[in-house]
Amino acid sequence: MRRAAAARGAVIVAAAAAAPLVVWNPYQLHTLIMAGIFAVLALSLNLLLGYTGQLSLGHAAFFGIGAYAAALVSVKLEMSPWVGMLAAIVLPGLAGWGIGRLALKLRGAYFVLLTISFAGVVSLVSVNWMDLTNGPLGIPGVPALAIALPGLPELSLRTKGAFYYLVLAAVVAAYVLCRRVIASRIGRALVALRENETLAESVGIDGTFYLVLAAAISAAMAGAAGGLYAHYTRFVSPEVFLFTYTVTMVIMVVAGGKGTLAGPVVGAVIFTVLPEALRALTSWQWQMLLYGLLLIATLFFMPSGIVPALAARAASRR
Amino acid sequence: MRRVAIGLCLVVAMLLGATVPPAWAQGDPIKIGVIQPLSGPVAASGNYIRMGAEIARDWVNARGGVLGRPVQLLIEDNKSDPKEAATAAEKLIVRDKVPVIVGAWGSSMTLAAMPKLEEYGVPMIVETSSAATITKRGNPWVFRISPPSEMEAVGLEKYMKDLGIKQADFLAVNTDWGRGSVTAFGDLLKRSGSTVGTVEFMEQAATDMNAQITKVKAGSADTLFLTTSVEQITLVLKQAQEQRLSRKVITTGGSSSPSQLIKQAGPAAEGSMHILFFLPWFPDAMPDGKLAKAFVDEWTKRGHPFEGLTEGFRGHDGVMTAVEGLKGAGKPDPKAVRDALWNVSLMGVNGPIKFEKDGPAGKESGQSKPSIFIVQIKDGKIALPAFAAKK
Amino acid sequence: MDQLLQHLLNGLLLGSTYSLLGIGLTLVFGLMNVVNFAHGEFYTLGAYGTFAALVGASVNFFLAIPLAIAGGALVGAVCERLLLRPLRGASIDTTMLVMIGLWIALQNGELLAWGGVAKSVPTPFSTAPVVLGPVSVSRLRIFVFVVSVLLIVGAHLLLTRTRLGRAMRATFQDRETAALMGVSIERIHTVTFAFGAAMAAAGGALLGPVFLLYPSMGDLAAQKAFSVVILGGLGNFVGAALGGVLLGVAEELGAGYVSSGYRDAVGFVIIVLMLLVRPSGLFARAERVG
Repeated sequence: MRRAAAARGAVIVAAAAAAPLVVWNPYQLHTLIMAGIFAVLALSLNLLLGYTGQLSLGHAAFFGIGAYAAALVSVKLEMSPWVGMLAAIVLPGLAGWGIGRLALKLRGAYFVLLTISFAGVVSLVSVNWMDLTNGPLGIPGVPALAIALPGLPELSLRTKGAFYYLVLAAVVAAYVLCRRVIASRIGRALVALRENETLAESVGIDGTFYLVLAAAISAAMAGAAGGLYAHYTRFVSPEVFLFTYTVTMVIMVVAGGKGTLAGPVVGAVIFTVLPEALRALTSWQWQMLLYGLLLIATLFFMPSGIVPALAARAASRR
Repeated sequence: MRRVAIGLCLVVAMLLGATVPPAWAQGDPIKIGVIQPLSGPVAASGNYIRMGAEIARDWVNARGGVLGRPVQLLIEDNKSDPKEAATAAEKLIVRDKVPVIVGAWGSSMTLAAMPKLEEYGVPMIVETSSAATITKRGNPWVFRISPPSEMEAVGLEKYMKDLGIKQADFLAVNTDWGRGSVTAFGDLLKRSGSTVGTVEFMEQAATDMNAQITKVKAGSADTLFLTTSVEQITLVLKQAQEQRLSRKVITTGGSSSPSQLIKQAGPAAEGSMHILFFLPWFPDAMPDGKLAKAFVDEWTKRGHPFEGLTEGFRGHDGVMTAVEGLKGAGKPDPKAVRDALWNVSLMGVNGPIKFEKDGPAGKESGQSKPSIFIVQIKDGKIALPAFAAKK
Repeated sequence: MDQLLQHLLNGLLLGSTYSLLGIGLTLVFGLMNVVNFAHGEFYTLGAYGTFAALVGASVNFFLAIPLAIAGGALVGAVCERLLLRPLRGASIDTTMLVMIGLWIALQNGELLAWGGVAKSVPTPFSTAPVVLGPVSVSRLRIFVFVVSVLLIVGAHLLLTRTRLGRAMRATFQDRETAALMGVSIERIHTVTFAFGAAMAAAGGALLGPVFLLYPSMGDLAAQKAFSVVILGGLGNFVGAALGGVLLGVAEELGAGYVSSGYRDAVGFVIIVLMLLVRPSGLFARAERVG
């Protein structure tokens, strides 16, 4: 069973890796790259939402902190972009830890509102703290990533094709990481907490500790996505904290299928490609209206998400 | 489960396939890309510019098009989001193969799209953005016809003695535009021997500015510089009237649409002065009076709101500049258009458009020197203030 | 001192409208457990409804407002019936996402219908402000304040003194028993949601003339509503009413004395502190929230 799943996974990854050879249109490649970045984001949100049952509506904050960390380290501190990527993972992770410690005494709606407020504050700081973030002008000129191994010529990741592979690697890494976390002790504890918190605690599982850990990992992953975003678009401005990013992430996770690992990835791909398809097929007046209606329709017919719905169909047909 | 995976791949492939250009789109018309905020908080401005662009397109086509082919505008919505602006630029360049773009309104949207211009080598005419960095970043594919805040301040300099400002407060929207304006006009004040009083900001979506107005009122300045969209200006003027703030008000940035202010703010707008780049009420005061009048007439004929003229002309001038570039290039090739843009010299609704080098040597962007005007609302009507009423 | 008084007055007037918004949301979020992201859109509908009645149908100003509120309630009832009832058993995330879809669809529908240009609502009040010593305020704002207070009091009476109100409270305290007692659960859900929508529409109908109308006006309103809900406690009517005023005053004072740029941060910081210190809201008895 495990081997079949792994084989399926390898096939999908191989197909994805072959994509740039088939999809040579850079605009489509761009769409896939953005889908990949959002897939990492969706996976990170899913870790929290799908497995702990806690909805964080402030995840854009971690994404943005990661993006700014990467941008500031490489532009203002002029250090290697890889140090920036490291900062993009560690700083949001720490923030996630901190917020988790504070917030995870709460559950449900209170947690949601706390995360919204946290994101709101971070957003306002990014706009107003000019000295640090350049405020609304943003940070242009973020350098592209490059791999410089000793002895070998520098391999620039500036081109789309190269960046696509980096993003693909990141998605695979994020997926595998989520997998390992879920299967590990942490994951089992999280599921136990989600199913019945009082019972879990009565057998000695420290709810808050495990949730905080999940929050930290989730935030670090979101930050990594932010770092990738910064080095791809090469321009970071306070708009990364826009609520629409959080909304998009939530759409991808829930409509894709929360609590599954494939769901967020599928959701990310579909809901990144969909707006672009709408952009190509309809005039600008109708794009977002149709998007909203399609979203409602998707949830109506597949309330638990796309992947679970399709899996159920496949299972019932067998 | 495998069937499910295959099914999903097919769906994604189909959706992606939609982004491939249909075969019949290549062919006759010459395409010009337009990227504007058509939804979101500044949708009004983006739409006015789109309307102005469409007038330009129709005029060009009525005169036979460019290079013997009709002009087609491909209009994209950047949703007031820099990420969308960059994606829209990518789509226009890669899928639609436009040789030139007009956009992207807000400075952060323009800045986000700029790396794409360099990546693919396609020029963009910047019609509204005011951040200085846009032409100083060393991007040789950027050609701006709107004034950066510094240029706007210089435009006001000749009136400083007549205005007689001793101390001025600033109330600006918290964006690159608002902040740039505060810096530029603050420097102007210092150069002219006046002082800067209170400096306050408001969020782009804020509707209640009473706190800031109360603070301004507590100061001792005689003038208030206001830099934001016409909606917020309306609200500030109304709320200032409620708090009985009596100051000379000067709005900057050209987006203030005094006609709309008169309609929506009424007596609260009385006496305020506005820096604009187009005077639709006095087309004869414009460098090319006939063109200005024709534009106003066509705009009114199409039933577009008069208030939109103070911004809509930017769309017209942007498209006309692009068309001149295409003519000079002789073919819809982006690099040729870029080279031709350095040599264009045309008359837009705002005035003469000709690009000068701006930015680091070797990678200069183009910057034109637009005309700058100032009007005043007197007795519920737009008037040229006494000191500016010379032609 | 004058400045302080003006700030306090500004805050009080603004806060009363925050209360209206918050009450509508606290009922839907707190009682129905629906994270209603479309709440702001009902606010917008109320505003545009007033505009349509006034400018389109030349209805009297004082009639246009109740018409707009009724319209908001109607749209709310329809949305509940069509979107929420079929998904009654679904998880909170699914309903939340449906509300997000509704939010996107409604806002862009408004953009399509009305265009992005801001509209202003003509009012019968003179623009000359009323001067009360060192502070001044416009007549329109006084009108808005009075009507808001009346609506809040009226809503409270509806909830506590009428059969309908009792049925609503019963349903959300103990569904099964309420059903056994003959309450039509489905109808109560529809009525509650419509009630929340009506309150939001009232906020929009009243504030539309004070500010301007544009399709994205509901986003900021929704944000404030969520803040008020937390301040007052989920599902806590009185809490939301008082919380709204508190938020308005705190924002004004923060913007006036600390920094206008961080004005909205005041609301957020309050929430964060609240949730850490007293999550069930300032005005609730302690309850388990974690």
